[in-house]
Amino acid sequence: MKKISIYRPTTVDEAIQILSTHGTEAGVYAGGTDLLIRLKNRLKQAPTYLVDIKKIDNLRYIKEDSAGGVQIGAATKLAEIVDSDVLKKRYPMLVHAFNMISSPELRNVSTLGGDLLQEVWCQYLRGGYSCWRNGGYLCYGAIGDNSYYHSAMGGRLCYAVYPGDAAVALIPFDAKAKLATPGGPKELTLEQLVPGDMLVDGRIQSHVVRFNEILTEVVLPPPKPGVRASFEKLRPRGVWDFAMASLALRLDVQDGAIADSRVVFGGIAGKPLRERAVENFLRGKTLSPNLGSQAVSIALANAAPLKYNSTKIDMAKGLLASGLAKLNGTA
Amino acid sequence: MGPLNAVLFEPVGCLAEFPPEPFHEIAVKLYGRKGKPSRSASRTYWHLLNLMQAAGNESIEALEVEAVDGAILYGDVLPALAELKAIGVKLLIASSLSNAALARFLAKCCPHDFDGVWNRDNASGIKAAPLRAALDHASLEAGQAMFLTDTAEGLKVAESVGVNSILMMNDPDESQRLAMLNPGGGIVSLHELPDFIRLLRAQGRCMPDCSI
Repeated sequence: MKKISIYRPTTVDEAIQILSTHGTEAGVYAGGTDLLIRLKNRLKQAPTYLVDIKKIDNLRYIKEDSAGGVQIGAATKLAEIVDSDVLKKRYPMLVHAFNMISSPELRNVSTLGGDLLQEVWCQYLRGGYSCWRNGGYLCYGAIGDNSYYHSAMGGRLCYAVYPGDAAVALIPFDAKAKLATPGGPKELTLEQLVPGDMLVDGRIQSHVVRFNEILTEVVLPPPKPGVRASFEKLRPRGVWDFAMASLALRLDVQDGAIADSRVVFGGIAGKPLRERAVENFLRGKTLSPNLGSQAVSIALANAAPLKYNSTKIDMAKGLLASGLAKLNGTA
Repeated sequence: MGPLNAVLFEPVGCLAEFPPEPFHEIAVKLYGRKGKPSRSASRTYWHLLNLMQAAGNESIEALEVEAVDGAILYGDVLPALAELKAIGVKLLIASSLSNAALARFLAKCCPHDFDGVWNRDNASGIKAAPLRAALDHASLEAGQAMFLTDTAEGLKVAESVGVNSILMMNDPDESQRLAMLNPGGGIVSLHELPDFIRLLRAQGRCMPDCSI
C-alpha cells in the first residue's frame, strides 16, 4: 500500500481548505470501509492525503427539524440510523433498508456519506485491472464476468453498477443532500447527487461531489400522510452483499387511489434508477392484485443486459411485483 | 504530437452489422477458401483482406455491394457521429471496401458528412493504405488518431500505422481474447466514444504511448 498522510481537521472549513490544497490527491476519510479498501486494492485513484472528518463534531447526528422532517449528519454511522427511534417512527422503510446494508460490524463503522459516495465494487476494478476507473481505457466487466455487479441497463464506459443502498432508499422520500463547498453551501436532490457515471475533476465517478467539497447532511422532508413504502434487496449471499437488484417503493395512497409514487431500482444500473414509466402508470390507479403484473409489463423497457446478467432484470421486475403486492397487503 | 482529435472508421463491424456470407463467397470463388463463413462478418472480411493482400487485391465488387445491401447500421452510430463532430473531432472513413461498395454504404446506411472518405481504390491499397491516406490528407500524425476495430487483424493494422487502436467490443468472448492483445482502449458502444475523448481531454493526456 502506498504511503499516505492523514489530516485531522476540526471544522468543515478547515477540511475544505486541506482538500483544496491537495486537489484530487486528497480524499475525505470517515468510516473508511470503502476508502481504506481502495488503498489496499492499490487503486490508482485512491488518495494519498486522507482528510479524516471524524474529529469534526457537527457531522454526526440525527435530529428532527421544526417542520417534522429529519436531518442526518453525513458522518452518522449506518448502525445509528438503524437504531434511531426517530427514523423507526417516521421512516420505517429507511431503517429496514439500512439494516440490509453490509454486515452489523461494517454498519458500526460505515457512515451515511460514505455509503452514498462509495466507489463501485466491480471485481475487475478492485482486482487491480487497468480499467476506466483505474487509469485504463477499457471495461473488463463488460466483457468478463458481469453476473453480479454490472449494469443491465447500459453504461457509459464503465459498466459497474452503483452499489449503494442508502441512495436507493432515500430517493423515494425526496431527500436532499447538503454539501459544503469553497463557494458556500450547496443543496442537491439525491438523484442529482448520484446521477451515475460522470466525469468530475478528470475522474469517472458515480457522484458529482468535487475534490474540494464535503457532503455534510441529508435532509428528509416530513413524511406525508397515507404513505406506504417498502424496500427489498436480492443479493448473491443472503447474509451480506451488494444488491443484484433492489427496489425502493413509495406510494402515496389517498382515498384508495395512488396519488403519487416513487419507484427506484438499485443494483441494476450505474445509478439509482428511478423508473418514471411505472410511476406514471401507477398514478391514479387503485391498488389491486393485478397491478403488479401490469406494472411489470411496462417496467425497464430500456434494459440492455450484458452477457451474464439478464437475470437481474427478471429479479428487478419480480421485486416490483412483490413490492406492490406487499403494499397492497396481498403478499 | 497533438492531442487525440480524429477517429478512423472501417464500416465493417464498427458502424454496421454486415452479413458475412458475401465476403466468404468472394474468398471461396477467388481464393479457394473452404468451410463455412464465420458468424462474424468482421473476421470473414479481414480474413478476405489477408487473402487479397497475399494475391493481388482482387475482389468481386458485386458481392461487396451485396454485403453492403445487407448491412444494418448500429442504432447509436448517427447520434454518436453528430456528438463527435460537435466536440471538434475529425471523422474519417478508412475502409478496404471498394469505392462503389463504400459509396453505396454511405448513401444507403450512413448519411453523415465525414471529413474524409478513403477506400481501397482512392487509397490504392487495402488494410493500412486507407488509414495512411486518411491521415496524410487530413495532415494528422498517427498519434492524433484512433482506429476502431473489432478484430485482431484490425489491431495489427492500427499498430503498423501507429494510430491508437480502439477495440469495438461487439462480442464479449472475442473481446476478452482481443483485450489480451493490449489495444489502446475499448468501448462497448459507439455512444461511448465522445465520453472517451472528453475523458482524455479532461485528463490532459493522449492514449498510452502517445505523448502530448
